[in-house]
Amino acid sequence: MSSRKVVVALLVLLVVIIAVAAWFFLIRGVGAPTVVKIGKIDPANLPAKETLSSALFGAGDIPTLDPSLAEDTTSIQMGLELFVGLTRLNEETAQVEPGMATEWKVSDDGLVYTFTLRQGIPWVHYDREAGEVVVVKDEQGNPRYVTAHDFVYGVKRTLDPKTGSNYAYVNWIIKNAQAVNGGSELGDQDPLYGKVDEIGVRALDDYTIEYTLTQPASFFPGIASMWINWAQPKWLIEEKGDKWIEPENIQSYGPYVLGDWTHDVSATLVANPFWPGIDSVPKPSIKYIHFTMLDESPSFANYEAGLADVAGVPLTELDRVKADPVLSKELSINPEFCTYYYGFNVTKPPFDDVNVRKAFSWAVNRKAIVENVTKGGQEPARWFSRPGLTAAPDPAKGDDFGPPAEGDPVKAKEFLAASKYGGADKLPEITLMVNQVEGHVKIAEAIQQMWQETLGVKVNLVTQEWKVYLDTLDSDPPQVWRLGWCYDYADADNFARGVFRSDSGNNHTRWKNEKFDQLVDQAAVETDLQKRHDLYVQAEKILVEEDAAIIPIYWYTRVQVTKPYVTRTYGLGGHEAYEKWKINK
Amino acid sequence: MGIACEKETMGRYIARRLLWLLVVIFSVSVITFVIAHAVPGGPFSREKKLPPAVLKQLNEKYRLDDPLWKQYVEYMGGIFIPRLTSGEPSTSYLEDYLINIPLGEYTLRWMNFGPSYKSQSRTVNDVFRENLPVSAELGFYAFLVASVIGIPLGIVAALKQNTWVDYIAMGIAIFGVSVPVIVLGPVLIWLFAIRLPIFLPSGWGSWRAEVLPSIALGLGSSAIIARLTRASLLQVIREDYIRTARAKGLMERVVIIRHALRNSLIPVVTVMGPIFAFLVTGTFVTETIFGVPGMGRYFVTSITNRDYPVIMGTILLFAVVIVIANLIVDLLYAWLDPRIRYD
Amino acid sequence: MKALTRPPTSLWVDAWRRLLKNKAAILGLGIIVLVFMVAIFADDSVVAVLAGREPQPLLAPMHFAKQSLENNNAVPSWLTHVFPTLKPVGTEGGYAKINDTYLLGADYNGRDLLSRIIYGTRVSLAVAIVGPLVSLVVGVSVGIAAGYAGGRTDNLIMRFVDIMYGFPDLLFIILLMALFRSTTGAAEAGTLRAVLTGIDNAMGGMFFIFVGIGVTAWMSMSRLTRGQILSLKQKEFIEAARAVGAKDGRIIWRHILPNILGPIVVAQTLNIPQYISTEAFLSFIGLGVQRPTPSWGSMIADGASAIRTYPNQAIFPALALAAIMFAFNFLGDGLRDALDPRLKGTD
Repeated sequence: MSSRKVVVALLVLLVVIIAVAAWFFLIRGVGAPTVVKIGKIDPANLPAKETLSSALFGAGDIPTLDPSLAEDTTSIQMGLELFVGLTRLNEETAQVEPGMATEWKVSDDGLVYTFTLRQGIPWVHYDREAGEVVVVKDEQGNPRYVTAHDFVYGVKRTLDPKTGSNYAYVNWIIKNAQAVNGGSELGDQDPLYGKVDEIGVRALDDYTIEYTLTQPASFFPGIASMWINWAQPKWLIEEKGDKWIEPENIQSYGPYVLGDWTHDVSATLVANPFWPGIDSVPKPSIKYIHFTMLDESPSFANYEAGLADVAGVPLTELDRVKADPVLSKELSINPEFCTYYYGFNVTKPPFDDVNVRKAFSWAVNRKAIVENVTKGGQEPARWFSRPGLTAAPDPAKGDDFGPPAEGDPVKAKEFLAASKYGGADKLPEITLMVNQVEGHVKIAEAIQQMWQETLGVKVNLVTQEWKVYLDTLDSDPPQVWRLGWCYDYADADNFARGVFRSDSGNNHTRWKNEKFDQLVDQAAVETDLQKRHDLYVQAEKILVEEDAAIIPIYWYTRVQVTKPYVTRTYGLGGHEAYEKWKINK
Repeated sequence: MGIACEKETMGRYIARRLLWLLVVIFSVSVITFVIAHAVPGGPFSREKKLPPAVLKQLNEKYRLDDPLWKQYVEYMGGIFIPRLTSGEPSTSYLEDYLINIPLGEYTLRWMNFGPSYKSQSRTVNDVFRENLPVSAELGFYAFLVASVIGIPLGIVAALKQNTWVDYIAMGIAIFGVSVPVIVLGPVLIWLFAIRLPIFLPSGWGSWRAEVLPSIALGLGSSAIIARLTRASLLQVIREDYIRTARAKGLMERVVIIRHALRNSLIPVVTVMGPIFAFLVTGTFVTETIFGVPGMGRYFVTSITNRDYPVIMGTILLFAVVIVIANLIVDLLYAWLDPRIRYD
Repeated sequence: MKALTRPPTSLWVDAWRRLLKNKAAILGLGIIVLVFMVAIFADDSVVAVLAGREPQPLLAPMHFAKQSLENNNAVPSWLTHVFPTLKPVGTEGGYAKINDTYLLGADYNGRDLLSRIIYGTRVSLAVAIVGPLVSLVVGVSVGIAAGYAGGRTDNLIMRFVDIMYGFPDLLFIILLMALFRSTTGAAEAGTLRAVLTGIDNAMGGMFFIFVGIGVTAWMSMSRLTRGQILSLKQKEFIEAARAVGAKDGRIIWRHILPNILGPIVVAQTLNIPQYISTEAFLSFIGLGVQRPTPSWGSMIADGASAIRTYPNQAIFPALALAAIMFAFNFLGDGLRDALDPRLKGTD
């Protein structure tokens, strides 16, 4: 046999092998690997070069990993790595990008949204005993792929009053959802109450989902990105009940899988080898993300000790961090979609008089507060909807209204003099209430002093513990109180209409203004961006200027330090896209 | 006292005291339950409000709309009444038993302390299983620190009364008492975890993380023990029988160890129980500063969250710890001072 | 001969005489008196209240609430020599704003630390006095009653103490404070709640702290007292007193009390730091005095979070606290020696 023949024979053999393999892998698919060995995870001893240690979580356990029940930053952050919505908000631009849906269509009347789903993304589970990421199989032994039915199940489960979802109200925009969820005036007497199959969402086929809304809403694709609308594993939830989210049970499909969850101590995510990577959610570069659950101070101490790669900076350390030659280079201050404000109870004297409200608002030097008290590079807020949200007024775009950033002591005095009380000495006793948190108290003490100095008004500062405070705000809001608002979906609608429409449960001012209601309703259904922006400008002017129902104080920022070997993006909404981060230790 | 029954044996005494434990638990549980529910605000009052119907559903699920007495009875029933069930354990967070004894095809289940309202994926029993051992460990180490530093310091100071040794020892003790954990903690972290990175600034599970919080927590109590030991030993040394012993020509060391020390430790032992209980239950500040995942930290957040089962469970559990610690103290007390009989 | 010529002095006079000889105790007493004076004359409220005007700062350079935001976290230049990490602006990595008006520096809102420490004496002293007072009066009487009566009464009382003891102190205080604090502002006028809240507001939030400490502080004292009485009761001199027909009250006052006073005073003095740190602890978790009323406890709590950046903000109130602790401890020690009747005549 000549050597040539041998070569040919080998080539033929090779071709056959490749063909057979291709047939297995590509055509029949059964031979596709359904198990990837990762190795056992020891959360205290992860390979440093492949691990990002994040100290961005606060103290206390992750409240839940159940998308229907998540309501806090920590739970949602975990969820964003484990699941992907139909759409995905870009963490840096807040723009809606395709997620599990490749595309979506809106009907002409703006009421029906149809999403087309990506195919071939499997449900996976990390088997801690074997140290393997395993594709979930159905009864027949076939891999379970994420389908439209899983998404529909998730929506229905969220809106089922039995679930008790805190965020379900955002989905009330879906047909019948409000009544099913118990939010209609009839409450649980509503004939639709609890009938989840009546909700306007259905799977047209395995990969097409249709939502029917109660009104046109240009911001709905943003809502579709939210955790309340993620796919959920029905089979697992029915079998394991509440415990489906425990690390030994949980199944997910996002860029990471849950590797370990030592309650109250840490959680470890492992890159999901079965996540194909899409434009908005790439295949993760960092293999392990290790979250520690510590207060801000010990978190930062860990960072300084080299035990964490990214951490928040406590207010009290900021002066030093900013000046430190090393830390200052690792410091980042980025906007966050939240607004910090004081509200008046407009039914309680003296704040039943708009001039008194204006006087108090104009007497606050917001610039001094952000520069000397909060110091985290916050922006003085002049209105409520934080700039950067879709359609929100933006100083960078030339919007200029509301109380001045530095306040205006002269005008403030004029307003007070113009009020029916005429002067500081004739005002009744005034109580400012904040919840008992160091940072809020510092600000309150500063503002208390500003009112004293500018207006000559002595205001009592009362602090209440959080839950009591919430109760007080509900039952009998004090004359002046504090709250913050963070976005659920990145649209001004979530701020203006979501909080201060007269029927909003979040409006503790007792202030009602028909014109404001009309404007925000109109803006909600309007689809033209410029028109929407103009409507919000008008509405905000009423809220903070004409009626001065609230005192906007500042727009939030996020203050973090990151080690130089980490390449990262900066999330606007308090959430990070860890799948986009890189590490090079 | 003088009329203590001769037949009272140690065993019966302990049994009687344990019966008392039930009374204590009952009283503590009622008072805690009433106070916890008297604090305004409920577990589901939130910044972004729930629709009334959903709130009602949640309240029904956790039986929060029942009359208070009924909630109390149900809760206590869940803890104390054992249940015989068959099959797999329930997947609901409402049914998680601390003690599960398999009996053939049935399982005897006991002590369901209820779910946590805040951490929806956890039960109070989970908190006991995972956070309690950490607190207990921290408390125990701190107790070790307190005793190991405190007793020798007190003895040395008493024996060298009014010398520089005494002054230094008591100076150390006063320092310990005078610097609260909230100052000591950050200073220790700054010195020994950041400036000199010997220890870890936070966490738990390795000795490098555990040393600083144990010292921070134990130092204050060591000072208390040192001072009490000194005071007590000084008092005993002046007692007649010690003088007699000395007069008999016994060696000073023998006198101190055999007679003085034993008697002088009586008051020390009385505070040991409370100190131990204080260390185990009072770990909150230390746990917060050093990021230790223990119970103390959990308890305070449970109040802010109106997490009733966690509040109740924690207080009941600590009540048991304290009562048993005190019982042990009383037994030690009787053993150390034979003049005291069980009563 | 000497003993015959000396007039019969009571135990307390003797004790006082012995106390005066103890330098450390006198130093302690001096510090305590000084702190008391500082507390009283922090401002001229003694005069101002009579004159019906707002009190003006007297010893304190400024009012405790006076803030100047641009001077937040300001530091006097001498401190930069004491704390080398406190680098002044302009140097490499420097961040500390230098302002010599503030002798000990200013806090996060630009309030004078020294003034706040001076005003803070009021809260800490109040807690240091009321805590032991409640604990002494209640605890010692209960302890004496139980230990002396013995039998069923003792059992009953001690079981009650046991029940109270069953409450983990701190957890119970936290729970109570949460209840008390939650009533602020939520009470209807005319109710007991409203009255209590009013008292608490008038006291800058101290009243509820007193109640909280009072409820939990007396038990250990009663146990200690009882324990001491139990071991004393069988001593010969008590039996002897009883044999000669002494009344119970007399036995308690003349024989038992003087004998148990030593350990009680020591324990009580040792408890004072605990009361003060309880207050600090409550401030730490946000259940302490109402802001802006300064207490060393809350100042330490505030400062502790900044200790690595502005160590002065925690260390000065801590020093103040430590000073008063030392003082109480020295005094307690001196008192112990002075009150121990068996020392009588040995000098």
